[in-house]
Amino acid sequence: MKNKTLLLARTLIKNGEGLNLKGSSTFTKIAILIVFAILIPSFMFGIAFVVTGLLTVLKSMGQEGVILSWGIAINSTIVFVFGIFYVISTFYFSSDVEMLLPLPLKPRQIVAAKFLVVTIYEYFTTAIFFLPIWITYGVYMKCSPMFYLYGLIVFLLLPVTPLSIASVIIMIIMRFTNLSRYKDTVRMLGGMIGIFLGLGLNIVMQNVLGRMSPEEIMELVQKGENSLVVLTSGIFPTARWGAEAMIYHNQLSGFMSLLIYAGFSILIFMILLWLAQLIYLKGAAGLSETGSKRNKQGRKQLAEEAVRGSVIGTYTRTELKLLFRTPIYFINCVMINFLWPIFILLPLIFQPEEINVIRELSQVMNRPGIEGMILAGAFIAALFFSASNGITSTSISREGQELFIKKYLPVSYRQQLTAKILSGFLLGLVSVLSMIIFGILVLKISIWLSLLILAVVWLPVLYTSLTGLLIDLYNPKLDWDSEQKAVKQNINVLYNMLAAFVPAIGSAAVFIFSLSLPAALIILTLEYVLLCLLLGKLLFTKGVERFIQLEV
Amino acid sequence: MIELKNVSKTYGGTVKAVDNLSLTIPDGEIFGFLGPNGAGKTTTIKLIAGILNADSGTILVNGRDIEKEALEAKKQIGYVPDTPNMFLRLKGIEYLNFMADMYDVSTEERKERIERLSRHFGMTDVLQDRIQSYSHGMRQKIVLIGVLLHNPPVWILDEPMTGLDPRSSFLLKEMMREHADRGNTVFFSTHVLDVAEKVCDRVAIINKGQILFCGTMEEMQEHFKKNSSLESMFLELTESEE
Repeated sequence: MKNKTLLLARTLIKNGEGLNLKGSSTFTKIAILIVFAILIPSFMFGIAFVVTGLLTVLKSMGQEGVILSWGIAINSTIVFVFGIFYVISTFYFSSDVEMLLPLPLKPRQIVAAKFLVVTIYEYFTTAIFFLPIWITYGVYMKCSPMFYLYGLIVFLLLPVTPLSIASVIIMIIMRFTNLSRYKDTVRMLGGMIGIFLGLGLNIVMQNVLGRMSPEEIMELVQKGENSLVVLTSGIFPTARWGAEAMIYHNQLSGFMSLLIYAGFSILIFMILLWLAQLIYLKGAAGLSETGSKRNKQGRKQLAEEAVRGSVIGTYTRTELKLLFRTPIYFINCVMINFLWPIFILLPLIFQPEEINVIRELSQVMNRPGIEGMILAGAFIAALFFSASNGITSTSISREGQELFIKKYLPVSYRQQLTAKILSGFLLGLVSVLSMIIFGILVLKISIWLSLLILAVVWLPVLYTSLTGLLIDLYNPKLDWDSEQKAVKQNINVLYNMLAAFVPAIGSAAVFIFSLSLPAALIILTLEYVLLCLLLGKLLFTKGVERFIQLEV
Repeated sequence: MIELKNVSKTYGGTVKAVDNLSLTIPDGEIFGFLGPNGAGKTTTIKLIAGILNADSGTILVNGRDIEKEALEAKKQIGYVPDTPNMFLRLKGIEYLNFMADMYDVSTEERKERIERLSRHFGMTDVLQDRIQSYSHGMRQKIVLIGVLLHNPPVWILDEPMTGLDPRSSFLLKEMMREHADRGNTVFFSTHVLDVAEKVCDRVAIINKGQILFCGTMEEMQEHFKKNSSLESMFLELTESEE
């Protein structure tokens, strides 16, 4: 059994989940090299630097172990949140599932293999945060080799608990949403429920386990001897044991903590496998089935539906329909536009005390003379929200091998690119709108300022839509066999987020010089109008040329 | 009418998929394009449809250059690709409306044609369903209907019979004949030599990007100086090339 699981995991990895550099352009390879060779190490050194500073302070209070427990807790939370997305995609929406189901494999073998693959990828992200904390602590506290051995075990087991919890939640939801004829729709709802439930659960855990009065916390701080480590079990339950194992690596209590940490991880993984054997197949079978109504299309219905529309209008609507109806696209490109206000609102629902923070923030936001900065902040938020949806930065990639269809249509490439921009722009506007509504309702930003923001804040959305499409035209990922590879494992989304940093300079200037609203308005509008004109020109000349050259 | 003049296409700088190919298909003709797997059939078809760009040579569709007057040339063509798996998440009717809008078909014309063609192909009852729920043959049919909505004078069909039931296959062959008899052009590729033998006015056999033979069935038999089937001539031609 073990061999089959490992064999399957190896095949899944070989099948190109993750960064597949073969066939990428030199541009992509260089960009990835820069990310790996410069950005990531410097980020890790940055963390090490901060950790050293914190250790100096914490050691004087006898609380240095908190660094480790925070490190594990935050890492586990990140793995958990991203794990939910990962699990939905790889366990259920990946195209290989249909190929695996007829093979003589036990459900728990499929789930174990897929779990292993996700865990291995999680190691990369976990390492970026965990390694600098681990090594810095070890060096600073002059720990024995045993510390590094314990640390390695903690690191290797770190993703297991959060990923198992995420998998269990998703498996249960998918089991019960795989009933309807309208699978795509119900599954998308299931995915959404999973994400909200996961986030909610996380906050509840923090709330229930971590609730302590300020006096109690002060008492703990004064106690020294790493007493604060206990608190982090409120963020993620296993964090405390992992941290205590590493802190007391030269004592028996450390060994006991390690045993509990490892035991808990293994136990929860076993529960996952047991559940997988029971319900995975029922959730995954019939993945791509679609209901059929076989309705007689009456003359009247045809008369209503067969109506001529404009080329750009129909093209844009079709792009949007495909985004909404393809579960992977919906979760990664559409839902993200609605998700971030919920990210902020959820803690408020579960932890009403945080209202005070918002109230204070709202007071700051309504101070006179700060309007210019609010506008600049709104521009930055709009930039990053719309860049993160990845609609235009994957719009050519999403065509995949079907790109040829767009080549034989008698529609100019200029019109086609315009429609692609429009679909990204419209959904980007949704996230900007929800941002403004949030501003009005929660932060109590005045209506006139909100209206003013609304009048100009579409500019950054247009900017990221243009840069996204240009990036995807030059570096499209067309050779994929499952939709998730087109959007989830597409580095163009990251490139577009980086491209969003360029115009953020204008906003930064507003902050640095504390510019007034009129000055900020003029500077930012001018900046973006110029950039968008330039990018639009580039798209309709070089971009069109590039589209003509693309062949599948 | 389709005219190819000295058309070449190379993949990845080395593999010559189409090698200095010249071909004229006049109006009123059904032209069959035959060849073994990987011979260059689909590449040639994609070049004519404007999906691929030729390295050299010119392609005219009803006198319009596919590169220089791309949109006008594309409007002349109705192209059926070899795989019908497209727009799976759209409903049949949504796909047809999409195609009709892309090809600028008026409301009245599209209503009449959707009604007539879907009745012909037995697709009326499933137009409200997503293409994803269709069988291979049904997908083939919805693509065919979509292609015919703008009433294109030039039909370019890549393996159009694959997956069709006998009735639909017969219907399509009849439609091809009628279309050509009205003075239009039908260009199609096939593996089924039987179909080619029965339907085509002329055939061309391509291998390794080059035309080995082009002419009527009678000319082909003349060429081989014997009265044998298309199958044996095809095998002889392509084998000697191996």
